[in-house]
Amino acid sequence: MDTTDTVDAPLTRVEQPNGALAINNARTEFRSKAELDRIRRYKQAQKAYGRGRRIDVKSVKDKKLRRNLTNLENKYKTAALKAKEAEILLENTSGFLEPETELERTYRVRQDEIQKEVGLEVAQKRFELKLDALGPYVCEYSRNGRDLILAGRKGHVATMDWREGKLGCELQLAETVRDARFLHNNQFFAVAQKKYVYIYDANGVELHCLKKHVEVSHMEFLPYHFLLATLSISGQLKYQDTSTGQIVAEIPTKLGTPVSLAQNPYNAILHVGQQNGTVTLWSPNSSDPLVKLLAHRGPVRSLAVDREGRYMVSAGQDNRMAIWDIRNFKEAVSSYFTRSPASSVAISDTGLTAVGWGTKTTIWKGLFSKEKPVQEKVQSPYMTWGGEGQSIERVRWCPFEDVLGIGHNQGFSSIVVPGAGEANYDALEVNPFETKKQRQEGEIKGLLNKLQPEMIALDPNFIGNLDLRSEKQRQADRDLDAPAVDIAQEIRNRARGKNTALKKYLRKQRKKNIIDEKRLKVEEMYKEMQEKKDEKHKERQAELGPALARFARKE
Amino acid sequence: MPGRQAHGRPLLPTAAAAGAGGGSGNKKPSKSHTKHFKKSRAKATANALDAFARAAEQVGADSPARGVRRRALDDDDDEQQQHPGKRQRRGEDDVEDFDDGDEDLDGGERRKKRARREQDGEDGFDGFSDDDGGGSDSEEWHVGVGGEDEDSELDSDEAFGESDEERFEGFGFAGSSSKGGRKRGKRKGGDEEEEEEQGEGEDDLESLGSDAIDLATALDQLSEDDEGEEQEGSGSEEEDEESSDADDESEEDEDESSKLDALQSMIAGFAGGDDEEGEQQTGSQSKPKLSLKDLGLAGVKDPHIKRALRLMNKEEKAVKPGSSKKLDVPLAKRQQDRLLRSAAYEKTNETLGRWVETVKHNRRADHLVFPLAQNAHDRGLDGAELMPINQKTSGTELEQTILAIMEESGLGPSAKAEKKEEGDGTGKGGLSQAELKEIQRQRRRERELHSREMARAKRIKKIKSKAYRRIHRKELLREQEAEHEAALANGELDSEDEREALDRRRALERVGTRHRESKWAKLGKKAGRAVWDENFRAGLTEMAQRKEELRRRIEGRTGGSDDDDDDDGSDVLDASGEGDNRHRLLAELERAAAYEEDEAPQSKLMQMKFMQRGEELRKKENDEAIAELRRQLDSDNEAASDEEMEIGRRQYGMGNSAAAASASTAAVKKAKAADSRRSANSSTAIGRPEPTSQTQTTTQVELQSSASAAAGAWAAGPAPPPVPAAAGVWSQVEPSGRKSRKASKATAEEVDISNAVTLSSKPSKPKHTSHDAATVSAEGNEAHDSDDEADLHLPMAIRDQKLIERAFAGEDVHGQFEEEKAEIEREDDEKEIDNTLPGWGSWVGEGVSNREKRRHQGRFITKVEGVKKRDRKDFRLKDVIISEKRIKKNDKYLATGLPHPFESQQQYERSLRLPVGPEWVTKETFQDATKPRVIVKQGIIAPMSKPMY
Repeated sequence: MDTTDTVDAPLTRVEQPNGALAINNARTEFRSKAELDRIRRYKQAQKAYGRGRRIDVKSVKDKKLRRNLTNLENKYKTAALKAKEAEILLENTSGFLEPETELERTYRVRQDEIQKEVGLEVAQKRFELKLDALGPYVCEYSRNGRDLILAGRKGHVATMDWREGKLGCELQLAETVRDARFLHNNQFFAVAQKKYVYIYDANGVELHCLKKHVEVSHMEFLPYHFLLATLSISGQLKYQDTSTGQIVAEIPTKLGTPVSLAQNPYNAILHVGQQNGTVTLWSPNSSDPLVKLLAHRGPVRSLAVDREGRYMVSAGQDNRMAIWDIRNFKEAVSSYFTRSPASSVAISDTGLTAVGWGTKTTIWKGLFSKEKPVQEKVQSPYMTWGGEGQSIERVRWCPFEDVLGIGHNQGFSSIVVPGAGEANYDALEVNPFETKKQRQEGEIKGLLNKLQPEMIALDPNFIGNLDLRSEKQRQADRDLDAPAVDIAQEIRNRARGKNTALKKYLRKQRKKNIIDEKRLKVEEMYKEMQEKKDEKHKERQAELGPALARFARKE
Repeated sequence: MPGRQAHGRPLLPTAAAAGAGGGSGNKKPSKSHTKHFKKSRAKATANALDAFARAAEQVGADSPARGVRRRALDDDDDEQQQHPGKRQRRGEDDVEDFDDGDEDLDGGERRKKRARREQDGEDGFDGFSDDDGGGSDSEEWHVGVGGEDEDSELDSDEAFGESDEERFEGFGFAGSSSKGGRKRGKRKGGDEEEEEEQGEGEDDLESLGSDAIDLATALDQLSEDDEGEEQEGSGSEEEDEESSDADDESEEDEDESSKLDALQSMIAGFAGGDDEEGEQQTGSQSKPKLSLKDLGLAGVKDPHIKRALRLMNKEEKAVKPGSSKKLDVPLAKRQQDRLLRSAAYEKTNETLGRWVETVKHNRRADHLVFPLAQNAHDRGLDGAELMPINQKTSGTELEQTILAIMEESGLGPSAKAEKKEEGDGTGKGGLSQAELKEIQRQRRRERELHSREMARAKRIKKIKSKAYRRIHRKELLREQEAEHEAALANGELDSEDEREALDRRRALERVGTRHRESKWAKLGKKAGRAVWDENFRAGLTEMAQRKEELRRRIEGRTGGSDDDDDDDGSDVLDASGEGDNRHRLLAELERAAAYEEDEAPQSKLMQMKFMQRGEELRKKENDEAIAELRRQLDSDNEAASDEEMEIGRRQYGMGNSAAAASASTAAVKKAKAADSRRSANSSTAIGRPEPTSQTQTTTQVELQSSASAAAGAWAAGPAPPPVPAAAGVWSQVEPSGRKSRKASKATAEEVDISNAVTLSSKPSKPKHTSHDAATVSAEGNEAHDSDDEADLHLPMAIRDQKLIERAFAGEDVHGQFEEEKAEIEREDDEKEIDNTLPGWGSWVGEGVSNREKRRHQGRFITKVEGVKKRDRKDFRLKDVIISEKRIKKNDKYLATGLPHPFESQQQYERSLRLPVGPEWVTKETFQDATKPRVIVKQGIIAPMSKPMY
């Protein structure tokens, strides 16, 4: 008899040699069917929409607090239940290719076969752009998946509304283009060129030249923080606030030329793949990597993080593809192998992973699943594409669409991958069908809701948490060596004219009627100045003599 | 105002006080006062003592002679006598005009003042009555007849202004008349002018006398109608009294009464209560002997008291031998008011209390909507509920038509009712109630008989079912325990010392520290037993160990197992014992088998051949089933015992190993060792540790050796002859007689122990499984690897892979990473920095010995706090370095302290986690969360008409 305790078949459910079946937490009391159903529904809701574990309300001593907390718990509960109930509104379902027989393999299905079967609208989403003159193309979609930016290595940059086939703008920059990326919407895009990073608008007009970002090889845009993060060949990681234009952080990674960059959409942490096979995690708030993990034996060619921030897929020069659980930094599945080093990895909304290697693109399904306690190794890919001589430069999933965009040295290919996109989008968040007005409003809203760069941390829920340092520690952490601010000096430094600054300051302060140390100091200074003036005046009067004293000038 | 001040203390006895109060108005009286003072003092005390005797004398002389009527007249007398005072007072005022303008100006005020003073006198009577009151009394006593009528001249009417009367409505002044009189007397002592005036006053009195009478009668008439005649009579007699006003005797009476009055007030002062109370008491106590007048109440001027007195008088009059019915004296106004107030207060509280719940609810409510629902016009109508439609309620046309259609098709409400009636009619038509019942009973009985075998079959089936076993397991355990208890109680269990050992064990267990929550443990802790008691300490450490172990287990690490095994048995309290199950099933079977034996009542139906045949058939089947079950159970048992044989279970049953176990702890240890060895290469999870677990279960005390001995005794006790059979082949046990009972007890024990075995074996399981899991996972890894290789079913790929491995072989990435990690760990770790400066406080340079150098090496060490290697977040993670540095920029968004109402960090942080925005929650939740607390709709907002909860 098998007595191993596995997650799938825990020992508690395994029949014992004597035929006994041990059951933990056997339910003894009778429950009605309705109640059971209710409990089940609540469990499901809690799993999908719950916000952490309940607190023990009964142990609270204060009556009022207990009542408040009970109410709060009820609110959590009803919120979860309501969210679960609202699932009924998610009317679109996503489906995957499924084999009919055991012998059938989904990865054998070719694009033209799919195109034949699907509707015309979907079929149109598959297209090829032959651009073989200006080198391998990188591609990026805008946040709502409506626009596509293509940037050829040799200076060709184009944006387009890919569904309608409308070209937004087309530029020939005539210098090396390493990366291109949309900012918060399709109105602006940044291009990492030979030396600097440039920002263009939708019409292709150059708006800014970011001269502080030198020789940038990778870029990421953090949409909620309005931060453009660039990674230069020299290993400098820079964050620039695109709403205010300020550089937020400049961090030298000190690990050589970085190879890859990806952002974790859950917590806005940047993952940088290094030459030595490590992946480092960065936030603009620390000069050291938050986490450093050894993923590969060779350079980390490409990185991707799933949208919930649970799993990271990395592909290395050593032909391996590793899947990491980045909540606890454990390798979820021992690695997969690519036939040749992967050039690009991308994860779709539904968790499909596209890996571009050599001339091929492989799409994996179920590399990771949050439902499973232990990840399983998938034996065969979901779909494959390519093998026709184009070396893949970059793969990107189109948000909310069953479309994978592949940039390669012969242009750009858009292929249909059933089940890749999120079927039910949240128009409050990102609306793929937004109008101009909605886009504008969304922009304003986004700016109003902008998160500060200091809010970036591994655990994005830390805001408002209790600072657990002791007062002593805090005291120690405070910078006691900082010189005290000299108010007089400060005011004087502010002085533009003779003493107008002081007067102006006082004038403003008097209106405010706030009396503090600074104000007192300034008053004193003012008095001193007045006295001096008076003295001078008197001197002058004395000089002129009693008769002419009244003609002494008062300054 | 000097005048006022002067009047502030005229009654103070001392000359100094008089001197101090030497204002304009009071000079003369104060002089006269001092004149009389010394003389009067001695007499005063004597008189005060004598007063009672005199009073008694007078009572003796007076009261029987005088009737009630006379007394009533006396009252009137007093009133009359008071009027001259009124007159006189006015005159006095006139006289004093010249030197006391102030007083004249606000005479009313002065009066008020006086009244207050008198009141004061009442309250703190003992304060000045000793000398002054008594003194003045004596003075009056001796002034003679002349001063006598002035004595009672000041009356309350005068002392009180009209407004004052309203104000002091509830107050009565016992000594008011006498004191006022006193003063007046003093004042007049040396004044001729005043005497003249007095004459005038007397004239006034003559004229006013009739008025007073009228008032009295009027009052009486107001209060009582039936006494009208008498009042009139008294009114006529009043004039007689007036004429004999100058009569000495009566005046003396008056005098005495005033003295008594003073006494009375003094008593009252001592009692500290109200005058009225005292009067009441005395009145009620001395009713047969004392008249009111004797008590000095005749001189009372307060109209209320007077009314009360009059009532009392009447009462006395009304008392007839036959009529026992009489009303109590009504309480004084003040008391009545107080009672009223308290009652009103309670009532108000009650009415207000009705709102408390409502207020609470509203305060706690998340949202309040105004106007209130209870004031709405459609209040009480439930919009959510549908009412059944009948002819009456059907409002709309559609409803009516549908109802009509329903009626037509016989589905309407009325049709149903008819049907029901029909059914009832048939039920009643056939048989009577009793007959029906009889029939029913008969049928039931037959059914029962018929299904006897069926039931048996069902029962057997049930026994088979696991659920049944599970459900009844606990019950059975309880039963067994009860049985055991009963056996113990009957004394048939075992010997005395054994029982004692048991008790002792239990007591020790309770006293021990293994259960932290036990009373004894707490006591011991409090008493600091750990300091001197070895055993106690041992218990504590054991407890700590167990706690640690549990903690580790919770954390998911499997702890050091071997020594933990000792107490594992007691860790788990509830478990399923298979042996126990089996036993019980057997018993069940037995019962099922016995079921047939009890004779069945043979109904006619059952006597029929075919029924019997059928029954027989079923019986046979059942028997077979039972036999089958039994066989199975036996075989199961045998299998189990076979299994256990190799690990020594049977040994226990024979009592050998038990003895061995009890022999010494060494044996236990050996067994343990064996146990551990077995666990190392064990194949089965159940029924492993026999001797050890047995001792474990039996010795639940920390006193290992002694307890084990006891346990040995306990275990070995029942070992004699019957036991082996019972324990060994317990399935054949037949419950009969004493022997069998003993056997059953043994089996019970057996069950216990087997329970324990399973218990003890249970906790050791995880260790096992983890072990196995580890190996399995290792294997799994290998498998995965092989899988990988299999997956890459191209020889090229394999070659590539190998090539790659070779290509990257030069770089020891892992080694480098490990080094880096180690370095970072070292950096972050706690550090000790030697701040010693060479040459600071010591010699350096050549020639300094090594010893000297060493001596000065670690003199100034600062310790830098850090993160220990064990506490690092990446302590157990391979190939991961997690930075332990605090990110200062994030601190901006941390709360510096726990906000007020929260008691813990969890509570606070939990309260932050519920999002409000529409992006994260459903619209409904969002609207609920952002709904204002108070919503006021347009319209008239009527107040709450009644409490809502």
